[in-house]
Amino acid sequence: MIYCVGHSIISPLGEGSQANYEAVQAGRTGLKIHTNRFEDVEPFCASLFDTPQSFVPLCIRSIEDAIGQWTMDNGQWIKDTIFILSTTKGDQLDLLTPAQEIACHFGNPNPPIVVSNACTSGVCAQITAMRLLEAGLYKHAVVVGCDIQTKFIVSGFQAFKALSPEPCKPFDPDRKGLNLGEAAATIIYSVQNSECRGQNFWTLEAGSIHNDANHISAPSRTGEGSYRCLMDVMKGFQPEDIALVGVHGTATPYNDAMETIALERAGLQDRPRSVLKPHFGHTMGAAGVVETIICALSVPQNSTFIKMLSGFGGVNAAIRLRVGQWTKDN
Amino acid sequence: MDKGQLKVEGEIEIQPTSVVLNGQPIATSETGDKMLVELYRRYVGDYPKFFKMDTLSRLGFIAAEILLKNTEHRTQTATLTEHGTQNTDMAVILANSKASIKNDTDYMATISNGNYYPSPALFVYTLPNIVTGEIAIRHQIQGETSFYILENQEQLEPIIRSTLNVKRSTILAGWCECTEPNRFYAKLQIIWNN
Amino acid sequence: MEQLIEQLKAQIIEALNFEDMTPADIDTDAPLFGEGLGLDSIDALELIMLMDREYGIKLADPKAGKAIFASVRTMAEFIQANRKK
Repeated sequence: MIYCVGHSIISPLGEGSQANYEAVQAGRTGLKIHTNRFEDVEPFCASLFDTPQSFVPLCIRSIEDAIGQWTMDNGQWIKDTIFILSTTKGDQLDLLTPAQEIACHFGNPNPPIVVSNACTSGVCAQITAMRLLEAGLYKHAVVVGCDIQTKFIVSGFQAFKALSPEPCKPFDPDRKGLNLGEAAATIIYSVQNSECRGQNFWTLEAGSIHNDANHISAPSRTGEGSYRCLMDVMKGFQPEDIALVGVHGTATPYNDAMETIALERAGLQDRPRSVLKPHFGHTMGAAGVVETIICALSVPQNSTFIKMLSGFGGVNAAIRLRVGQWTKDN
Repeated sequence: MDKGQLKVEGEIEIQPTSVVLNGQPIATSETGDKMLVELYRRYVGDYPKFFKMDTLSRLGFIAAEILLKNTEHRTQTATLTEHGTQNTDMAVILANSKASIKNDTDYMATISNGNYYPSPALFVYTLPNIVTGEIAIRHQIQGETSFYILENQEQLEPIIRSTLNVKRSTILAGWCECTEPNRFYAKLQIIWNN
Repeated sequence: MEQLIEQLKAQIIEALNFEDMTPADIDTDAPLFGEGLGLDSIDALELIMLMDREYGIKLADPKAGKAIFASVRTMAEFIQANRKK
């Protein structure tokens, strides 16, 4: 397992994880109708920054916020760290250069990794971090998820007729599709414990990725991949041990139906769910990171929770985490 | 973590003018994207979805097809060479440095200012991990599929090793990149976790 | 109408990447989805875009597509009745 030693969300709902968590608790949403944001694009409902953001500075701000929570033993931490960027369309279609710029900004000598696994990237990036750290290759991982909405992305989802004209309603019989969103979020994982300054940090304990092997843009009707991921991360646990399931809940007809079936098959249908897309929209590469953080802040100490996602390409992913509070002696 | 040699059971390398399987060249009369079509007709022939794929997906699809067809391999749950048997134990891990840039450019041409007809069939291929999805569907791999953007192929090795640690029985891994219809490179291996 | 049907068949073949087909291979009245050509959900969306791009028809409700895309003939009849280009 690996330990979260710092985290941050920057979104239209606010700066910092706590501000975003409080916004969700207060029922606030970043979703608005946008009419002239991009040329030729029909009006769409999304959660966007009031001032358009630049990809790399936005990521750096989020990482700096997360680093600020971390008590490092010495200044040498950066050479033992891998930077992992989770994004679908990067900085104007370039995924590698922004990752390199971010790592360079922090003086990181190790070539960064970009996870591009569609909407599951934010969870897959955390799984990648866990595997690399548990293999002893690095001591720390800075996992940063970010996507910024562009004409490219919005037009594509409109061509797919996947967007809801109004704020999305996950799992509702009347749901009309998803809303897009943008955010940058960071989780710093370490093999070492850290003094936490009174905040609920967590351990990442298990992760699983499975493909439906069904269709490149539609999920398996029986939720095969999602179900297998849930069963993998549930090994040794009963449904009643899980305090919260952070679902994907995009509010498309097929995703929510598939997810419901997967949850039922795994016995998790009655567990409390964290449904965050009505607040943040679908933040794509950032979703797995944003939503993990909010879930962690939403449950009491010593709780175990699951975060699950699905994405284009038939890919599904899930992680199991436990919230706790540790001192340096643990 | 085991730092020894990875157990590579098979390897294929495809460039616009050459195909090499386990060190032996495969003769083709065409080059570039036309060569991929030639290989499709020779090794597959009955999968019309191939023609909907962008060049990156065709490249990965054909490389995986030829490699898997020519590797005698058993996993914990299924024989790889039998289609229709679900394989939950395998991982498909591909990487490149340019994501889906060629197809991104093709899609962008359908959303130019004033000539705006976004193509769903092109948009679906504007994510590089779709290649892994196409391979998974073809070979019924319900195991893990992942796509990474890295500076070079060498960066893939620690990712492969750390994935072997979690006991995936087999990994189909490698580099798969396409920047233009006739500029591409793929090198895929089957790595066996004993 | 026959000319439109022939033109439409050629456009469908190109838009949906039916590499080994000619218009003569497509039965005008055969189902496009399910049996027949076996199109899928992405193909349906691409046909909606084709109608907009080539004939200026915007389909607001994708569910209406089911009836329109039943066959090449029904699609041609719909286009004939609604085309703006």
